[in-house]
Amino acid sequence: MAKLSIFLTFISLLPLLCYSFSPENPTDRKILVLLDNAAIKSSHSIFFKSLQTRGFKLDFKLADDPNLTLQRYGRYLYDALILFSPSTKRFGGSLDFAAILEFVDSGHDLIVAADASASDLIRNIATECGVDFDEDSAARVIDHTSYAVSETEGDHTVIAADDFIQSNAILGNKKIEASSSLWIGHTLNAANNLVLKVLSASPSAYSANPEIKLSSPPSLTGSAISLVSVAQARNNARILISGSLDLFSNRLFRSGVQKAGRSTKHEKSGNEQFVTELSKWVFHERGHLKAVNVRHHKVGETTEPAIYRINDNLEYSIEIYEWSGVSWEPYVADDVQVQFYMMSPYVLKTLSTDKKGLYSTSFRVPDVYGVFQFKVEYQRLGYTTLSLSNQIPVRPFRHNEYERFLPAAFPYYGASFSTMAGFFVFTIVYLYNK
Amino acid sequence: MRSRMARNVGFLFLILSLAICQAAIFQPISDSHRSAALELFSPTDGSFASLEETYEALRTFQILGLEKEAVLSPETCTLVVKNLRSSSSNPKDLFYALRVNSILKCEVDADILVGISSKLQAMVRDASSLLDFYHSIGSLVLIKDWGSDGNVLLADADGTFHSIKALSQSDGRWRHSSNGAESSIYASGLALEALAGVVSLSSSEIDQSLIGTVKNDIVKLFDSLEKYDDGAFYFDEKLVDAREDQGPLSTSASVVRGLAAFTAVTSGKLNLPGDRILGLAKFFLGVGVPGSAKDLFNQIDSLDKFCYTNSFSWYRVSIPLILSLPATVLSLTNKNQLKVKVNTVLGSDAPPLTVKLVQAFRSSSKEAPLVENQELMFDPESMTHSLDLLPMGFDVGKYIFVFRVLLHDPEDKKIYATGGQTQVPIFITGFIKIDSAEIAVLDSDLQSTGSKQKLDLSGETSLSLSANHLQKLRLSFQLTTSLGQPFKPDQVFLKLTHETKVEHIFVVGNSGSQFEIILDFLRLVEKFYYLSGRYDIQLTVGDAAMENSFLQALGHVELDLPEPPEKASRPPLQPVDSYSRYGPKQEISHIFRSPEKRPAQELSLAFLALTILPLFGFLIGLVRLGVNLKNFPTAVGPATYAILFHAGIAAVLSLYLLFWLKLDLFTTLKALGFLGAFLLFVGHRTLAHLASTSAKLKSA
Repeated sequence: MAKLSIFLTFISLLPLLCYSFSPENPTDRKILVLLDNAAIKSSHSIFFKSLQTRGFKLDFKLADDPNLTLQRYGRYLYDALILFSPSTKRFGGSLDFAAILEFVDSGHDLIVAADASASDLIRNIATECGVDFDEDSAARVIDHTSYAVSETEGDHTVIAADDFIQSNAILGNKKIEASSSLWIGHTLNAANNLVLKVLSASPSAYSANPEIKLSSPPSLTGSAISLVSVAQARNNARILISGSLDLFSNRLFRSGVQKAGRSTKHEKSGNEQFVTELSKWVFHERGHLKAVNVRHHKVGETTEPAIYRINDNLEYSIEIYEWSGVSWEPYVADDVQVQFYMMSPYVLKTLSTDKKGLYSTSFRVPDVYGVFQFKVEYQRLGYTTLSLSNQIPVRPFRHNEYERFLPAAFPYYGASFSTMAGFFVFTIVYLYNK
Repeated sequence: MRSRMARNVGFLFLILSLAICQAAIFQPISDSHRSAALELFSPTDGSFASLEETYEALRTFQILGLEKEAVLSPETCTLVVKNLRSSSSNPKDLFYALRVNSILKCEVDADILVGISSKLQAMVRDASSLLDFYHSIGSLVLIKDWGSDGNVLLADADGTFHSIKALSQSDGRWRHSSNGAESSIYASGLALEALAGVVSLSSSEIDQSLIGTVKNDIVKLFDSLEKYDDGAFYFDEKLVDAREDQGPLSTSASVVRGLAAFTAVTSGKLNLPGDRILGLAKFFLGVGVPGSAKDLFNQIDSLDKFCYTNSFSWYRVSIPLILSLPATVLSLTNKNQLKVKVNTVLGSDAPPLTVKLVQAFRSSSKEAPLVENQELMFDPESMTHSLDLLPMGFDVGKYIFVFRVLLHDPEDKKIYATGGQTQVPIFITGFIKIDSAEIAVLDSDLQSTGSKQKLDLSGETSLSLSANHLQKLRLSFQLTTSLGQPFKPDQVFLKLTHETKVEHIFVVGNSGSQFEIILDFLRLVEKFYYLSGRYDIQLTVGDAAMENSFLQALGHVELDLPEPPEKASRPPLQPVDSYSRYGPKQEISHIFRSPEKRPAQELSLAFLALTILPLFGFLIGLVRLGVNLKNFPTAVGPATYAILFHAGIAAVLSLYLLFWLKLDLFTTLKALGFLGAFLLFVGHRTLAHLASTSAKLKSA
């Protein structure tokens, strides 16, 4: 009986395993959503629904559910994790701080939303991702010049922020209206170069407790305050850290926004578009590149040689595609570069594209021999990192490949051959003269 | 049934002056719910997926007072009648068809209802699961309310009551069926509704002790309520395999419906704590505008149960009135009035009443209240109570207003709960005057070196100052409110930003209305990391009550600071600009070794000619000397050897030529080997012959 049940579990897991994350289909499939309380599920239902209509399978659990686990039999059950549980001090089940970091380290995606009640656990997870929340737990981001005009919120902690990162890969190519919410400010760790501010506060903002008069300067001020940040790890795991859980809520999706000092009131705030576009990025529906068909050969030939000679002319080509969430589309850019590299790049050249995904260039092999690499290190804002290298040796000229009839040497050749001719005549004359 | 409810109205005007709206964060149902309802209940091509959804849409629209035609196609009634007529309809379909019918009032033949009711009677007898009971009994109740003359009364009401009660657990939860199903709170709500149906359908009085045990179950059920910090209570299912749609909202709604139905048909007091009941109402209000149709229906339907006296009597508390303010941020510049609305939770109008401003005081200070016992003017057209703030002498700032609602009609006091005093934080904003702004660079003895510069903080300024570490920078300005009072904003920051993006922020202090900061650079050198150069100056003044908050770049100051000592701390790492980090790199192309310098080809050819000249000289010399070939052998044999010998030499020489032109060393040596041996042989023969002829000559 027990065997049968194990067998049945396995069989039922099979389609699930086949359906999950793969390099050929990089979009996430199964997402675990951890909530503080089940009410968040209905108060943030528009966001969840938009994920579900995009084909994600959401598994809602309370953060203190005693059966929480991310992996079973050494395999991860989920492709991504959404932590909408800011006040959780300890997760239930086998899930803990280390398990979440391990989950991300193995290339899975993570969304963390904090709010005023953010616990140390959530703060620590954010810190590990390169984001430091304001240490004062009562602090809010206050902005007296670009707050969201409201008749009921007077302390200017609801801020309409529109200083979005300029990246079509992360936020799509449509303009996003200001996004309003109550924010917990954070700063990026300057030593971490993987983390980015997606939405930053205006220069007049500061992070402080609105109930207390300031006597010393606040620790976070100006546009150094990040409201929403993302990080892309070296293994292309993507992390979204939001200083506001309300950002995802139905209430703020529906409400309008008017930034202080502007006369136009937008019927709908940019929250929904911002969050939807951002989630597309986090769950690898956008900005995920793959490189295939790396080819190189001598000019005029088609087969790939095992070795190049110095001063050969070669052609290099590569195909790059971007995942659109459904299929691989040709990636179009004008800044893909290839390096011919041995200890340091000898040649660094920008590839030209045919707009159908094929990138190619040709160059001359340097007159230095040794073991070289063709390297494509493509790191662009919002895109996954492409890092390819093919090793290729380069040899010097063979003895018979040097230039043979140098005009400069003609006098020498002329001298020897005329001597030889003279010798021939001399032998005859010497032997037979009488 | 109505009359019994009416009896209960106002039975206990509970201790609950417990304000449902004490913190004023629970806004009543409003137009945003109505627009959400129109958006969420949008039928796909004219009809809903099921009758259940149709009912939820109709019920929600009915409560919200929306036109039901917006969601309804004319075929709905046909569908209802078809469902009722069909012999294969299951109890659930019948139940929802009857529910839709109870709202739409379609034309249904009386004999159809009679037929259904006998069928339902049989179903009740055979029912084993809770849902079967719920649907069939619910249907019978609906037929009874419809006024059909069919046989709707249950013959064995006590027996049915017992079989439903048999599914209950000791903790007040119910199981869906007797065979091992897990118990849930959601099922309890269904069971209570079914039991209420049994009571109203029984031909005789149900045993009071049975009802008593059910009431005990309800009390136990309420022990499992969970609480939010803001005073809201809710039921939450702790089931491992809870269905997707069974959140706290649907669970709580199910219990509220069951409770409302059950207490409506039974008499006697139910011993439930009042704060928990109100907490439940707060929970439904606190949800805001739900995102799904089901949630919206659950919220609105449950709130409706709290609101109408007939069903509300179930916990014998009056209808809560909610005091809400359309705006809590009032501008003195725009002469905003203080407006207060009083509604029921569903947003309907309140009876005649007066709103009184009991107290108003600044939130920061514990001073005596500014205003006491002020009545608000009532405007019957907009149904708002309003108060002019300007004549009351309010200055800008943050206040706390305390309101109290007084009902005019003493009879109303039995029906409505007004809550006690309601505290509302109010922001009064206004325009702040900025005067006599000055900036100056001072020597250490506070003597001004340069002239003081007047600043216009409302317009553009572009200062250009310079100072060294022995000098000081002094900035001062005055802030006053429109009433001439000194004003102290929350945010008065002076920011100095060095070229390297290192920022220093100073809070500008004040005494009265005079704000002043003196930057003593001698003390600040260490804080400035000894970084000389251009510092941009920025002044930010902002406050929640200040309408003209600003952030202004004042210009820059050129600082000349001493060289850093060896142990000085380094400025902190500044984050790299994310845009520059990702750009393409500079192209690199390899610089090839330049080819060696060679003489011009003409020169080489000229020298080639020169090297050939001696050969011609040699040949001419030979002709001039008169050389002959008389010694050439005449005999055939030696002549052949001589010719072969010289042909061999010519061959070796041409091999050299070939070697130069195309052959490699190995081919050449191989050929040379054969030629050499051949040459040795013919050479020997030729030279031997020549030697013998010359010997003969000598001897001769």
